[in-house]
Amino acid sequence: MTTVAVSAADYRQPGLVRRNMGFVVAAILAIFWIAPIAILAMNALKSPNDFLMTSNLTPPSTFNLLVNLQHAWAKGLSGGFINSLIYGLVGSAGAVALASLAAFGIVRLKIPRGLFWFLLIYSGTIWPFQMYLIPLFNAYLQTGIYDTKLGMIAFYIAICIPFCTFVMRGFFLTVPWEIQEAAYVDGAGSWTVFWNIMFPMARAPMILLLLIQFTWIWNDLLFGLVLSKSASVRPVMVALVGMQGVYGAQDGPSVIAATLICSAPTLILFLFLQRYFVRGLTLGVGGGR
Amino acid sequence: MTDATTTTRTLTTARPVARPGNRLLQRAEPYLYVLPAAIFVVAFLLYPMVLTVIRSFTHDDGITAPQFAGLQNFTDLFADPHFLVSLNNTFIWTIAAVVLPVTLGLIFAITLNGVRWSGFFKSIIYLPATISAAAVGILFSFIFGYDNGALNSLLNVFGIHNVRWLFEAPINSYSMIGAYTWQSTGLNMMLFLVGLQGLPQEPLEAAKLDGCTPFGLVWRIIIPMLMPYVVIATLLAVVNGFKVFDQIWVMTQGGPGRSSETLAVTMYREGFIMFNQGYSAAIAVIIALAALIFSYFYLRSVLDQEKQI
Repeated sequence: MTTVAVSAADYRQPGLVRRNMGFVVAAILAIFWIAPIAILAMNALKSPNDFLMTSNLTPPSTFNLLVNLQHAWAKGLSGGFINSLIYGLVGSAGAVALASLAAFGIVRLKIPRGLFWFLLIYSGTIWPFQMYLIPLFNAYLQTGIYDTKLGMIAFYIAICIPFCTFVMRGFFLTVPWEIQEAAYVDGAGSWTVFWNIMFPMARAPMILLLLIQFTWIWNDLLFGLVLSKSASVRPVMVALVGMQGVYGAQDGPSVIAATLICSAPTLILFLFLQRYFVRGLTLGVGGGR
Repeated sequence: MTDATTTTRTLTTARPVARPGNRLLQRAEPYLYVLPAAIFVVAFLLYPMVLTVIRSFTHDDGITAPQFAGLQNFTDLFADPHFLVSLNNTFIWTIAAVVLPVTLGLIFAITLNGVRWSGFFKSIIYLPATISAAAVGILFSFIFGYDNGALNSLLNVFGIHNVRWLFEAPINSYSMIGAYTWQSTGLNMMLFLVGLQGLPQEPLEAAKLDGCTPFGLVWRIIIPMLMPYVVIATLLAVVNGFKVFDQIWVMTQGGPGRSSETLAVTMYREGFIMFNQGYSAAIAVIIALAALIFSYFYLRSVLDQEKQI
């Protein structure tokens, strides 16, 4: 019956009702999807007692947000937050730098057996993380870099290199060869070509990679658990999970506040730089790993 | 003189890029660029991976010297009830992690595409994907709380009694899959939106003119044309669903009584809490084999897709 009612004309010029229906359905979906975060954000306002005594759906009767944020920061996040900022910035920058050099060497300098070198580096993304954990843990203990900032940074650089190399290789394949040949004619060496010509051109993919890799390092829990233990080294997600284990039962609002603090950086990055993230998806590999 | 000119000419034709400087240095040059990255990958990823494979054939408690054990770890695994529970959970997780986020992602993409304010709605659906799996785990531990949790409070309104979402198997796995779906639907939706924007308009217009219903349009034309994206999203979801660790570790630690463990969690528990390193390595190898098979199909379909574009 309805199929008869919907005529071809409706599609050429969608009617007011039809267009608004889509809008209403989309709005309901969005409200439904944001509800968990909204409800918990509301609970971050409560005092621990208020939180324990009332349902999570009840609006707060106290305003305790500032105290909760303070607790969240003081009870362990402070160290982890700064650590992960360092890991995220240095790790992603280091990986993008090394991967760009490698991709340049493979594509533009035509290293012999280039495919072998590319696959050697790229194969780092194929294996599940579980394949690395035990030997890494043992080696870190033996060499004394277990539970050090240096050890964490070195690992984060390594794990981010394969995907960055994949993307940078794709970029270097698109750069016209005339540019490079002209530079050689002018007497430029390979480093000049890389630094003065390719590097400025590669800004877009590099920013994209920095974003994706920073987000990945920031959100990592597993390697933080395995390669660190002390409060001065562990990354932010390990600190957060540790906090939930200790205070989750008695001080819920502080743990929720801590979760919101930890989620803020990557969320803000996404909101400001959405189009880069969406472009990242079109690379065919979502999430960046 | 003539000889020298010929040589130069041959050289120029053979190598269009005539570069100044020492030949030997030039030949070594690419390695200076490639080796640092390669060394990092080999030292931190590939070498440990080889060691894990070797270790999976040994008895190793991390303290005394490892002893060769052949396939003992693997045969033990398939007689270990904890492992079989974990394997079963992983199977459930993988299926659910594929069906739910991919289907919902497709539905959301089709619903949101071209709607007013769609950019805003897309951002909201994608938002959970920007925060960490650990954070999602903590947030949903509260949502699934027994006494005051939002979900139980909501059910109470309808007269349904409190449910122990996270403390009973198998419902705890389903609860965690729900949280996982909330997080990963956005990524699939974005993938499908990219696909939708690339669809040719002519078949859609033709179908509309022929009086095709909205449902028919989606089912007979849009989804078949999106098939390459469905394949990519599905395989990516399989690979990711297979490796879920953070969220489970945060929400139940695989409990109660190891009932909600998946292979990734079992591997971590055996290796880093019970220090059965050889046994744990064997689980890692099994995860790797499964992931490798699906990664192969994933990469192949991504590459096919890139060729078409």
